[in-house]
Amino acid sequence: MKTLISIYLKDLLRNNMLGLLVVLVPIIFYPLMYWGITQFIMIKKGVSESRKIVLNYKIESEEFSGIEDSLLSLSNIIPENTDLINPNKSGLFLTVSSQDHLPKYEVFIDSSNAIHKEIFSKLENKLIAYYNSETAKLIEKKNYSTEYFKVYNITARNIDGQNEIVTKVLSLIIPLISVMSILGSCVAASVELASGHTEDKTSETTLTIPLSREKIILSKFITVTIYGIIAGLVNFSFFIVFIMQIFRSFFGKIEEGLLDFDWSMVLNFKTILISIISLSLIAFFVSLIFITAAGFASKRKEGGVLVSPFMAIITYLPFVIIIPAVEPNILIAMTPVLNIAFSLKLIIANDINVLFIFETILFSLLWVLLLYKFLFPFLLEEEVLLGYSNTSLTKKIKMKMDRWKKK
Amino acid sequence: MEEKIIIKNLNKEFYDPQRGTVKAVDNLSFTAYKGEIFGLLGPNGAGKTTTLRMMATLMKPNSGTIEIAGFDIENNSQDVRRSIGYMSSNTALYPRLSPREIITYFAELNDYSKENLTMRVEQIIKYFNIGDYADTYSEKLSTGMKQITSIARTIVHNPPVLILDEPSAGLDVIVAQKIHSYILDLKNEGKTIIFSSHNMGEVEKICDRIGIINNGKLLTVGTIDELRDISGKYYMEEIFVYFVKEFEKES
Repeated sequence: MKTLISIYLKDLLRNNMLGLLVVLVPIIFYPLMYWGITQFIMIKKGVSESRKIVLNYKIESEEFSGIEDSLLSLSNIIPENTDLINPNKSGLFLTVSSQDHLPKYEVFIDSSNAIHKEIFSKLENKLIAYYNSETAKLIEKKNYSTEYFKVYNITARNIDGQNEIVTKVLSLIIPLISVMSILGSCVAASVELASGHTEDKTSETTLTIPLSREKIILSKFITVTIYGIIAGLVNFSFFIVFIMQIFRSFFGKIEEGLLDFDWSMVLNFKTILISIISLSLIAFFVSLIFITAAGFASKRKEGGVLVSPFMAIITYLPFVIIIPAVEPNILIAMTPVLNIAFSLKLIIANDINVLFIFETILFSLLWVLLLYKFLFPFLLEEEVLLGYSNTSLTKKIKMKMDRWKKK
Repeated sequence: MEEKIIIKNLNKEFYDPQRGTVKAVDNLSFTAYKGEIFGLLGPNGAGKTTTLRMMATLMKPNSGTIEIAGFDIENNSQDVRRSIGYMSSNTALYPRLSPREIITYFAELNDYSKENLTMRVEQIIKYFNIGDYADTYSEKLSTGMKQITSIARTIVHNPPVLILDEPSAGLDVIVAQKIHSYILDLKNEGKTIIFSSHNMGEVEKICDRIGIINNGKLLTVGTIDELRDISGKYYMEEIFVYFVKEFEKES
């Protein structure tokens, strides 16, 4: 099998057109898509979310202790009385002090977090209501005239440092671009190894060597996986070098953060190893689908057509990871490709969720096994394996369908 | 004479949604001996390629048996593959590999001993005179150069049986002659060669025995002289037409 993989891989790696396609297309399109979508999400910040957020609060003035009841009535938040306001802790922070016998609020939120923003709008309503009730009490007690009281104004402070924003951006962009790069490389390599080999009439060349057909086809899957990883890494390196330059020019703030960013968080042995294993799993998974689909075609063009709907579905799944409100859950862990992209996001952001990563590995292996079991017999069919050059694609599919019906 | 290929009652059907079940090979039987070139002669679509594909273990027959070099294709397919060299219009060269790489890789793939590998590759390159272009990507080679490399690739592991499906199709006379001489040399080395073609002159020139095939049926088998005697015709083209017509009369 090693020799066969060397043949396939050498032939693929020497294919300049394929290399150009694999490296150039994602470099041009993916960052544009990424920024388009993130900007859209930033604008449409009204994300509904069932996740509970901790609200750390400190009431500095005893006279306003009644505000606790208002805080407890808020949905989706867990109020926690604290003595120390520590913006490095997770959740929102609120301090209530007194100014001229009325409450004065200071709220610390992460402005890049859609959940924080949503919770803040609810919290603000409660704080305003409490302020108004205290104002009414004061007016009544001191017999003040209402026009002396200004409209309530709240101070909100962003607790996120520049470094954390960059971590967030990178934790989204790195898994997304790596997954995209690998998908692009795998689809091109699969079409080349399946329909390309039939078109070039090289598929039969290796079928008479003393190696089982299963191993010959498995060699193709492994080749696509290796090619996907190699081309994906090259593609990703290009991305890091060139695209970050563009980012620096366009997004000055990010530039500062990038320089300060602790790259050892991403570029360490553990993260790189986990990433390569995860991405290999993605590459193997998609190669099973793409090679099977392209195997039905006897020309690259036809192969591309057959692969494209699968590519579209699989490509768009990882985009979910850039939606800030999405939290790891069992459904995401069950969704192929997306689950691995999501796990990578968590690992890079140093927000390791062991259960989710375990579920991801489990379901990914399960998917690979299922596809391997169900798609392999397809590829062993003579029509697909030998790609009968005189039979059109629709005929081949019809033949397959008729045979199924007969069975 | 040692029997190297024994084919008995071979049948292969294809299912086509428009034509229904199509019989590509119909109850075909023949035997080929060591050191013999057995020619399968027939028009396009006669069933030659399907027969050869079954012999090369690429396709499974619906019924019948094939034994090559003492191995049955059904139960010992790996041994059969080790014993054959198969070349057809569908076994092209990998475009971005050089002849040297292809020959080396195929020797390895066919379990040729690693100790003698380099020597064998060089020997083959020298024998087929492909040294001048041995390190050029095969996509840049002429059709003739590719075909000669293909034959080299087919025989590098020194198999006792060669299955050559129209090896000189589309080649100019000079290259075709070169290929014929290589095939005759291989025969003299004691290899059994199954050679298919629709070129009557070519078959007449190099084959020891000829099987005429049409519509999946083997109409007759014999040496050129035997076929001339039975048909009463001299030229291969006339002999072929005679047997096809005789068969149509009978059926």
